[in-house]
Amino acid sequence: MARVPLARRNLLAEPRRLAAGVAGIGLALMLILLLGGLWAGIQAQSVRYVDGTGATLWVLPADTRTLFSEGTQLPTSTLEVVRATPGVAWAAPALGQYAILDLHDTKAATVLIGSEPGQPGGAWALARGRAPTADDEVAIDRVLADRHALTVGDRLTVADRSYRVVGITRHAGFMTGYVFATHRAVQTLLHAPGKTNAVLVGTEAPTLVRARLAARGLAVLDTPELRRSVLEANTRVFGSPLRLMVAIAFLAGVLIVAMTVYAQVAERRREYGIIKALGASHRRLGALVFAQTLVLAVLGLAAGGLLLAAGRALLSWARPQFEVVITGGLVAQAVGMVLVMALLAAILPFRRLARLDPATAYRGA
Amino acid sequence: VTTPAVSAPLRTRPRRRASLRRPVGGGVPLARRNLFENRRRVLLSTGGVAVALLLVLVLGGILAGAMRQLTGYIDRSGADLIVSQLGVRTMHMSASVLRPDIADRAREVPGVAWAVPIRYTTGIASSAAGRMVTYVIGYNPAAQHGGPDRLVTGRPPGPGEAVLDRQAANQLQVQVGDSVRMLGQSFAIAGLSTGGTNIANTTAFIPTSDFARLRGPTQAYVLVGADQGVDLGLLQARLEAIPPGNSVLTREEFAVQERRLVTDMTADLMRIMSGIGFAIALAVIALTLFAVTLAKNREYGVLKALGARPGWLAATVAAQAAWSVALSGLPEVLHVTLREPG
Repeated sequence: MARVPLARRNLLAEPRRLAAGVAGIGLALMLILLLGGLWAGIQAQSVRYVDGTGATLWVLPADTRTLFSEGTQLPTSTLEVVRATPGVAWAAPALGQYAILDLHDTKAATVLIGSEPGQPGGAWALARGRAPTADDEVAIDRVLADRHALTVGDRLTVADRSYRVVGITRHAGFMTGYVFATHRAVQTLLHAPGKTNAVLVGTEAPTLVRARLAARGLAVLDTPELRRSVLEANTRVFGSPLRLMVAIAFLAGVLIVAMTVYAQVAERRREYGIIKALGASHRRLGALVFAQTLVLAVLGLAAGGLLLAAGRALLSWARPQFEVVITGGLVAQAVGMVLVMALLAAILPFRRLARLDPATAYRGA
Repeated sequence: VTTPAVSAPLRTRPRRRASLRRPVGGGVPLARRNLFENRRRVLLSTGGVAVALLLVLVLGGILAGAMRQLTGYIDRSGADLIVSQLGVRTMHMSASVLRPDIADRAREVPGVAWAVPIRYTTGIASSAAGRMVTYVIGYNPAAQHGGPDRLVTGRPPGPGEAVLDRQAANQLQVQVGDSVRMLGQSFAIAGLSTGGTNIANTTAFIPTSDFARLRGPTQAYVLVGADQGVDLGLLQARLEAIPPGNSVLTREEFAVQERRLVTDMTADLMRIMSGIGFAIALAVIALTLFAVTLAKNREYGVLKALGARPGWLAATVAAQAAWSVALSGLPEVLHVTLREPG
């Protein structure tokens, strides 16, 4: 009996059922990976500006842990203090403000970021055009441009000012678009002369420079610290529902695997009764069920990969503002989930087999 | 769905019960029996579907609640018109900058009963227990308008003091007499208001003089009450004409703009979440029906041999799907029925 590939034969005996089970698991896995990738994309987009500036340290107003959303400001004179600090390679100011634009009868949430032309903190990774150099110029992100049919040379109105779009960046933020302007333009718009929100610092010796800046009475965060607090602030509202969705997709996957294998076991009670009557141990029957669920899950994993590629392409095409980032960690997590799914799903049919009376073999089906 | 002309039921039941349960037409309720034969399977499948659908509803409920709270301040302000910087039509995620004497100019306009300026920014209220995003509103505590709608405890803020929303105070684990930090400064809590907190942020009120000291002399919005019987359209035009030009919206128009901001921002995400929830529900229903149908292959064969047409068999499966969806919909119905009215 040990030579009979019973698990494989059981699975292949009903190709339609096998295909349905594989498709079901593939769909569940695709949903898990898509939601996980969407969540990873949202996180990446939320901190894109922090990552994109290349700053090592951030001088912020006291008590401030995020950018542009705390209502706190620094005097621009802080910039000179920072630049005069030994070990600082470069320092640049950034002044930002969330702004709601009325574009084509739709409200577009954006963050308007002002920086000094030619210095870090402004538009980076430009796909078209250039960074703004004059106070009536802006660069916008690609999603904002695509969704509202804006291109280089168009005018963009922010509050009571009109700006000429001179550049389009390759990256985009989560739910809020980027509008890059000069530092002075944002100061003018906000009626905030002599103010900034943050001073970005580049240095080869972050620990030493941070201590020196702190000694001068400045509040300093390093990039990982700022990243964490910005991520927490930007994803707080949608984090829980998304994580819950991933959990539900996982449960659905377990359910699908369990139902498929359970149905197979239930239908072949007589055959399993014969195996039991021939002396198969619980361990042998358990191995049989686990092997079936495992094969099903592995096939489902392959199907999930294909469905994911299709789903990701569809989402990128239909809703380019949502990035789906599939990381190695996410794939490893999904494979782990498949194995856990298979193990969990095998429990129910195994329990049924364990209770099966060998006399079943001698009764009618 | 009932069997056509099947004289013997698939399962023998006591005659009295059978007659009581016999559906119209005298057949066997095969769809229901097939589905409910294995209660564990029914529970798992309908539970999976229900949770997937419920999540979408809950998310929608969260956003609906956020929208209602978002306009709470404006709704209860008592203003007929709201003046803001030209091109600014919202408060949430917005910055409006008006000239410091804008309220005085508004009061001179014929038809204006009262005009109260407020200062506003988005900030963070923090305590040792945590941090919350907050609307910070600077208002004149001596004025009748612009402040919190109702204080549940304490009094309006004096210099260096703030009124916090009760829900936020609970989350930040502070009470009247404690202090919170906002706009880089510590404020003692003078009172607690209500109705100003949603999933995204809360609302805090500080004296307008403190706000001006921290953020400069400009105003953000002017709340305007109109004289009785005044044509609001006409008054709107007069206020818009105050140099250098302003946006003036009625309270209702302003609230509509705020709500549209939330819907426009979250519509795509909601569609994606709903789509995924639907796909999960569909997969679970399809797999359940597939398993049930295959498990009953032999019985369906018997029915076919007795003359059942493929269309009738398909209808049986469809009826099972309908049962699954109906059962899964129960928690959603309860959710909608039992949720807080309004």
